[in-house]
Amino acid sequence: MSISLNVVLIIITLIYLFLVIRSIRKKNLQMSFSIFWLITGIMLILALLIPNLVENISSLLGFEVPANMVFCITIFVSFYLIFNLTVSLSKENKKNKELIQEISILKKRVEDVEKKLEDNK
Amino acid sequence: MKVLLIIPAYNEEENILKTCNKIKEFSDELDFVVINDGSKDNTLKILEENNLNHINLINNLGIGGAVQTGYKYAYQNNYDIAIQFDGDGQHDVNYVPNICEPILNGQANIVIGTRYLDKKASKFQSTFMRRFGSKVISLFIKICTGKKITDPTSGFRAVDKKIIEEFARDYPTEYPEPESTACMLHKKYKVSEVPVSMNERQGGKSSIRFLKTADYMFKVCLTILIDSTRKH
Repeated sequence: MSISLNVVLIIITLIYLFLVIRSIRKKNLQMSFSIFWLITGIMLILALLIPNLVENISSLLGFEVPANMVFCITIFVSFYLIFNLTVSLSKENKKNKELIQEISILKKRVEDVEKKLEDNK
Repeated sequence: MKVLLIIPAYNEEENILKTCNKIKEFSDELDFVVINDGSKDNTLKILEENNLNHINLINNLGIGGAVQTGYKYAYQNNYDIAIQFDGDGQHDVNYVPNICEPILNGQANIVIGTRYLDKKASKFQSTFMRRFGSKVISLFIKICTGKKITDPTSGFRAVDKKIIEEFARDYPTEYPEPESTACMLHKKYKVSEVPVSMNERQGGKSSIRFLKTADYMFKVCLTILIDSTRKH
């Protein structure tokens, strides 16, 4: 990898880390999610700063091309992330459903009470 | 004995008033609650103008969520029996005593109004594909729970107090009828069936129906299978 490309990639990763930290400080991101993004950013920086790190690890693990290892890790991590997202989406759906149900029943009860009060007047 | 009819309604402006009037004609003592599932037509207006007992869901939940709201209402108001009843005129209120009988006798916790038990009683036997789908699902329930349910997708069901509590706490959203039946069978509740007659639903058929039925059948079977591996 040429030096200039390396520098550009490091700058992009730093911007990415800055964005992550900013959204944590603004409390846009829950801590448990933000840790994942922080670790990802730090790993990217390490891979860019330490020469031959990716190459050495991939040959150690038996990958023919370093890029294969990178793709492999990326795909696995992405799958894991998407799976977790669908799990938490389902949980939120359930909570949302229960809220709608309880509020609707409560509204009905309030209306019933109001009607009774009016009739008694 | 307090009995509640739960009537889920989504865009039922044409039928809902007729359905409710028929129930009122049938008996004054029979309570009903219409669950308006975020209808986009005049259903809510009709319910309010005619002073029909109803709950208006603030957002659309789909059939499972709407029916569960009815069970929650039944639970909070201490009803002994809750009956699911369609708002589109498909179900006949005259069968309500029949469907309650096994519960009153203590023979069942859930009673399903079945279309297929008595061919003569029911004018409406539904399409071939739907019947076939029903058969496959009921075979699946039989394999997974050991009990034969002839009409697992029937939306005409009566449940007792225990089941009201179960359903108020947890009720499936996507394929509610067959899944909840299978789930209650796993929990060793007694399910029985009573023949009823159903009227044909209004509205045209489309070719998509075939695929939809197949898709529904497949997902229901899978859900029941996964359910049966769960600890109860």
